[in-house]
Amino acid sequence: MNRQNVDVAVIGSGPAGMAAAIRAKQSGAENVVVMERAEQMGGLLHQCVHNGFGLLYFNEDLTGPEYARRFMEKAMDVKVTPLLETMVTKISPEREITAISSKEGYITFTPKSIVLAMGCRERSRGALNIPGTRPAGILTAGTAQRFVNVEGFIPGKKIVILGSGDIGMIMARRLTLEGAEVVAVVEILPYIGGLIRNEVQCLHDFSIPLLLEHTITQIHGEKRIEAVNVARVDNNRDPIGGTERRIECDTLLLSVGLIPENELSSMAGVELDPITGGPIVGEMRQTNVPGIFAGGNVVHVHDLVDNVSWESELAGESAARFAMGAKWAEKGKIALKPGRNIRYIVPQTISGEREITLYLRVSDLEEGVRLKIGDIMSKALRVVKPSEMLKIELPMAQLRKLKQGATEIVVDCEKRGK
Amino acid sequence: MSELETQVLIIGGGVLGTAIARELSRYKVDVTLVEKEVDFGWGSTKANMCIVCQGGDALEFRKEYHRSRLVWESIPLTEPLCRQLAVPFKRIGELTIFKDNEGMAKYQKLKTRAESLGITTHQFIDRDTLRQMEPNVTKEAIGALYDPMIAITDPVRLTMALAENARQNGVNILTGTEVLDISSGVDEFEVQTSQGSIKSKFIVNAAGMFVDKVAAMANADDFVVFPIKGYVGILDKKVGGLVEHEIHARPEAPGESNIITPTVYGNLIIGTPMKLARRNDYSTTRQMAEIGLRNAQKLVPDISEGDIINSFAGFLMFRNWELGWHECVVSPSRSVPRFISVSIGYPGVSAAPATGKKAVKLLTQEGLKLEENPNFNPYRKAITDFSKLSDEEKGALIAEDNRYGHVVCRCEMVTEGEVVEAIGRGATTLDGVKFRTRAGMGRCQGGFCSPRVISILARQLGIPEEEVTKKGGESRHLLYQSKQLLGVRE
Ligand SMILES: Cc1cc2nc3c(=O)[nH]c(=O)nc-3n(C[C@H](O)[C@H](O)[C@H](O)COP(=O)(O)OP(=O)(O)OC[C@H]3O[C@@H](n4cnc5c(N)ncnc54)[C@H](O)[C@@H]3O)c2cc1C
Repeated sequence: MNRQNVDVAVIGSGPAGMAAAIRAKQSGAENVVVMERAEQMGGLLHQCVHNGFGLLYFNEDLTGPEYARRFMEKAMDVKVTPLLETMVTKISPEREITAISSKEGYITFTPKSIVLAMGCRERSRGALNIPGTRPAGILTAGTAQRFVNVEGFIPGKKIVILGSGDIGMIMARRLTLEGAEVVAVVEILPYIGGLIRNEVQCLHDFSIPLLLEHTITQIHGEKRIEAVNVARVDNNRDPIGGTERRIECDTLLLSVGLIPENELSSMAGVELDPITGGPIVGEMRQTNVPGIFAGGNVVHVHDLVDNVSWESELAGESAARFAMGAKWAEKGKIALKPGRNIRYIVPQTISGEREITLYLRVSDLEEGVRLKIGDIMSKALRVVKPSEMLKIELPMAQLRKLKQGATEIVVDCEKRGK
Repeated sequence: MSELETQVLIIGGGVLGTAIARELSRYKVDVTLVEKEVDFGWGSTKANMCIVCQGGDALEFRKEYHRSRLVWESIPLTEPLCRQLAVPFKRIGELTIFKDNEGMAKYQKLKTRAESLGITTHQFIDRDTLRQMEPNVTKEAIGALYDPMIAITDPVRLTMALAENARQNGVNILTGTEVLDISSGVDEFEVQTSQGSIKSKFIVNAAGMFVDKVAAMANADDFVVFPIKGYVGILDKKVGGLVEHEIHARPEAPGESNIITPTVYGNLIIGTPMKLARRNDYSTTRQMAEIGLRNAQKLVPDISEGDIINSFAGFLMFRNWELGWHECVVSPSRSVPRFISVSIGYPGVSAAPATGKKAVKLLTQEGLKLEENPNFNPYRKAITDFSKLSDEEKGALIAEDNRYGHVVCRCEMVTEGEVVEAIGRGATTLDGVKFRTRAGMGRCQGGFCSPRVISILARQLGIPEEEVTKKGGESRHLLYQSKQLLGVRE
């Protein structure tokens, strides 16, 4: 492969990377490479053997590996070049990529444009700082998923899960099917952290106890975990004295959230949003560094893979156009500002000149609300939750209502009927 | 091992036991070291602030105290030792900040005393200089006492390197071997261990937190120690640049200490509320974590709870808790000949080089005959640190062995080649690999690398994956094979 002539280099080959690469190729970029540290493309999809993938994108209910397969085949069809077993270690602001590979050794090259598609990682125990000992048998739900579904091992047979993220709930079901007993799913908030469909299909259908407004206050066991203390929490999420009880277990899984993986982005000088943890992007998924684009969970953590694919296609198309000479402002003229009960909005800036899809999350659960996009659009919603991403299409017809020279749009989630 | 005979038996593979073993390996003498854990430095040495101090940092050090002398005598020895053993060592300097003139006056007194004892490196710096040196330190500080000599190292790696080098020079080293009982004969001890019995002429008891228990086995417990628990929190590398010196302030409450320091790997660590505690209870509490964080924030306000990627507790042995941390035990038993106990509550790492020499001297006073070992090799080669190589070196190494092109830990950028090297040097567990290579020490705390390291360990050691442990014994990481719980047989 001639690395001196790469148009678009995509970092990561999960659903985001594959979608970006395919679209870049389809948009006219000639030489598109995908850099992936694993032996095959697909990223975490391979360990997600459950269904629920592609309901929106393909109108079909697929498993993770099936969803991956479709994109892998498409990527080969359109002649994307995968660079497998290749770990990118550095990206410079001038877009020079450094990587190591067991086959090719040490690689550096400078493509015309880059798509960041490194996805996200799980929050670990340290971030939680649970008091107690440091025994074996504490792992993130995603690591457990890899052990069970890829490596063929079961971490233990009496399991407590902290956090009710989607991977945690899916692993609760998976481990139950494997013959383990999930004794509790412990969630500090009054509502689950993942999707309702997972609460129903993974917890309720298997009678797995869900303890809302509870947290783990202590870990016991010297060599291997033996038990945890669980307590109710008050409105400030502090444990309530006297509610503590001990639950015996041999394994603790953590499903306490995902964080976009942006070490490489930072090296490249990409500006990050402290709320999403991902790059600040414009509507073309351009970052502040010319020629560097980003899509999928590296930008913000999505609930559904379908949206990851769509968002990354946009990044792939932009990267191809950039490689062919198109230019944009790094920041759109109009900033989208989170207002009442809005945690974040992606993209963070827009030009106002093309129709766009907004992805946003609220800060708190609320019923009977109205979402107001400045004064150009409003939408009534029955209920909003931090765990369910909102997706709002903003057509040109609405954008034209913007005042000349407007520099920001405030998005509010207002209480209805008052 | 069923029965073994040795001339000197060292009990304990912490920084002190291994330093003594390595020192003894300079001589032609038959030495055995036993450690109950499956690896070295997993006792007090593991939970550590990693500071190589000079006895002036806790300026209350006094020359008449044995321990202070060992720390001072170690000052010129530590850096060359780290160099010989290829262990990280970095002189970062210490800033002891104060917030008012009264605070400064106190340090003035301490500085004068340090100078009278021959420690002359301390100097006062004013507010502006402090701001320049450390812009993120609390604005409340009006100045600091600066000691440029203070350094940092990696105590566990130092311990593992000492053990490796001692073994290289002929010391018989047995891990997973716990001393259970000792009977003293006329000119020989008979030591019962979990792996069989050992006959030895001399015993060096360097059992750290259990120094008094081991002494009691031989009726040599003519001293008392108090187990004091301390807390250490490790911060993410992304805030690693907040300070470049060890920053320190006088504690406001007894048992607390305000300290934050960089590590040799670019993280910051904070510590440590100290409390008299039940031995062997390594658990941390919410209260410890809160005090630790609050104290660190008094030094560097920008630190937040979310920056903490791991935390743990460790034990120090104090001779006298009421009086503070004065004295240690580095002496022969008054009642049992040829039995030496060696324990330094704080700072055992800083005092290790001289303590090794001191123990050898005590052994000769007890009658051990020593003859120089002409083959003694003081050098140990480091395990490759792939991330530190130049681009050309990286390329060349992968071309030679493509396992260096396979990254297993992405947070710390550790390759399969390094993990294999670590196993070759004696790592048998996830933690053994972690302390030698840093795989699993980064912000994801092993989420990504543990499946990979487990399969490399299983392959290299020739054991099934379910037998791989986190830290030996019952700490298996994966309890069952797929379908095992269903009782399905294939
Ligand atoms: C929170 C904290 C921070 C610290 N910070 C610093 C610092 O910054 N700088 C510094 O210089 N010092 C520091 N110290 C002090 C330092 O860690 C200790 O002084 C030093 O590690 C003691 O070493 P050791 O070899 O005596 O003990 P250990 O490391 O505990 O070694 C004793 C070994 O003996 C083994 N053992 C025990 N019983 C038996 C048995 N029956 N049979 C076989 N083996 C046995 C144990 O498993 C252990 O490995 C700190 C300590 C703590 C707790």
